[in-house]
Amino acid sequence: MPDVVVSTHDLKKYFSSRSGVVRAVNGVNLNVRAGQVFGFLGPNGAGKTTTLRILTTLIPADSGQAVVAGYDVIRDPDDVRRHIGYVGQSGGSDRPATGRENLVLQGRLYGMPRMDAGRRAAELIDLLDLTDFADRIAYTYSGGQRRRLDVALGIVHRPAVLFLDEPTTGLDPQNRANLWEQIAKLKATGTTIFLTTHYLEEADVLSDYVAIMDHGLIVAEGTPDQLKRQVSLDMIRITLSNPAQASDVFRMLETQSVVKAVAEEQGALRISVDNGEAALPEIIRTLDAQDIAIGGITLSTATLDDVFLEKTGRSLRDTAANIAGGA
Amino acid sequence: MKLLADTRLFFWRKMKETLRNPIYMLNSLLTPIIYLMLFAPLLQKLVGVPGLDAGDVMNVFVPGLLVIISFFAGLFVGYNMIDEVRNGVIERFRVTPTSRFALLAGRVLRDMVNMLVTVTVFVVISLPFGFRPDVLGFLVFVPLLCLLLITTSSFGNALGLLLRDEDRLSPIVQGINLPILLLSGMLLPMELAPAWLQALAHLNPAYYCVEAGRLLVAGHIADIRVAEAYLFMVPLAVVVVAWATRAFRNAIA
Repeated sequence: MPDVVVSTHDLKKYFSSRSGVVRAVNGVNLNVRAGQVFGFLGPNGAGKTTTLRILTTLIPADSGQAVVAGYDVIRDPDDVRRHIGYVGQSGGSDRPATGRENLVLQGRLYGMPRMDAGRRAAELIDLLDLTDFADRIAYTYSGGQRRRLDVALGIVHRPAVLFLDEPTTGLDPQNRANLWEQIAKLKATGTTIFLTTHYLEEADVLSDYVAIMDHGLIVAEGTPDQLKRQVSLDMIRITLSNPAQASDVFRMLETQSVVKAVAEEQGALRISVDNGEAALPEIIRTLDAQDIAIGGITLSTATLDDVFLEKTGRSLRDTAANIAGGA
Repeated sequence: MKLLADTRLFFWRKMKETLRNPIYMLNSLLTPIIYLMLFAPLLQKLVGVPGLDAGDVMNVFVPGLLVIISFFAGLFVGYNMIDEVRNGVIERFRVTPTSRFALLAGRVLRDMVNMLVTVTVFVVISLPFGFRPDVLGFLVFVPLLCLLLITTSSFGNALGLLLRDEDRLSPIVQGINLPILLLSGMLLPMELAPAWLQALAHLNPAYYCVEAGRLLVAGHIADIRVAEAYLFMVPLAVVVVAWATRAFRNAIA
């Protein structure tokens, strides 16, 4: 298997609408490595789904190249299809059929003989905890159950790469956590996972590598940690038992190598550091050595939202809230 | 053959749905039965007008109803298609390396089985009302009904796929429904119609099927109008299936 499973070069897709041309995908370059969970983060309408639909052969790009699992999406769509799994936003399970029937049919569409398809269905029912409801009609499934069946359908043929479009949208927190676990299990089997999401936490928790998209362009990419370090420092806030000591502490911390900046505010200290988790014990030790009593201490680490804010001037949370409110 | 294997898989997927709720198959029987009970008796008094020979009223009326069964068994499948598009089922299939034609053909074949079962049941119901078809003629009529079903089911499926919205599908389906019915000559023979209306009827596939059906049921297999019906229906079915396959291949759904 090639080391790079998905790569695109200057991918473009424009749509014409009543208000003019929408540059849905406006020159996207991507490289997804084998075995990675690749998180594609951005607000609704950023172009994530359009990019995904090009990569999964559902729509043609206007220009640029895309190679998926070693095949060109335009020249060899059937070869691409044989090697990818896809779980769309609206799921894809057939509701008048049982979960097992869905899985067996999917296997047979990939050319598995009946027996193999049945065996594989049983395996997936086990893997994704579908046992309790696999032989019920899918109409009766809850949202979380249906989502797990959708994911199982995407991996029947052991694809080199699994595309998940907003996999946890509409799920309650418990089902979301459950699906995250399933995705982690899949990753452990070596499946490359390409997922789009507009949830910061999802991108942060699941992804090895994140690309942030806005207005058809990738505005930032890297591991979640790299991205967060790029744009924003962690913040430690210390309140002192005796606020009168604040000025002394200020001078003490100023000279510490891990401290980038420190500010005094009403008996408390705001300390900017590169890596909060590493700096925190060191700062505590320093104050301890001088017999300075700490009243309270908080650490706020940078989030991917800070990255989004830095790159686009907007907060992803606000963007999501606005869209949800306007819908 | 991958194409045949996939068609079979898609056919059985839809057929299982039907077998789970076979009662839905009988939905399409309701309208023709109402016509048979509440309209056919009116025709008895009209015996003697052009196109209605004495004693043959049922042989004239029932073929029209069979055509209507076949027509509507196909036309209304677009609603189910929209449902599947909305649930992402069609999109999921389009990401597998399966033939787009098989995706369409499996559905059309299931609709054809539904239609043939409905037609059989309806013929049996019509026998006590005086329907006496020529057996050989009737057997030549059945493929014509299948051609009509292939045309309307392909059309209905593609329409659902392209429109993706019941509110857009309904005006089209309803708009086609009544003119096709009135211009088929199913209710009253088109011989009674003024020339312009007859000319219009010649654009209606259902009209050719109704005309040929009446001749075939009466045993006139060699009539030129039977050949005419097949000559109209075969190319029409080919064109509509080709168009529908293209829609399945290119759909954004």
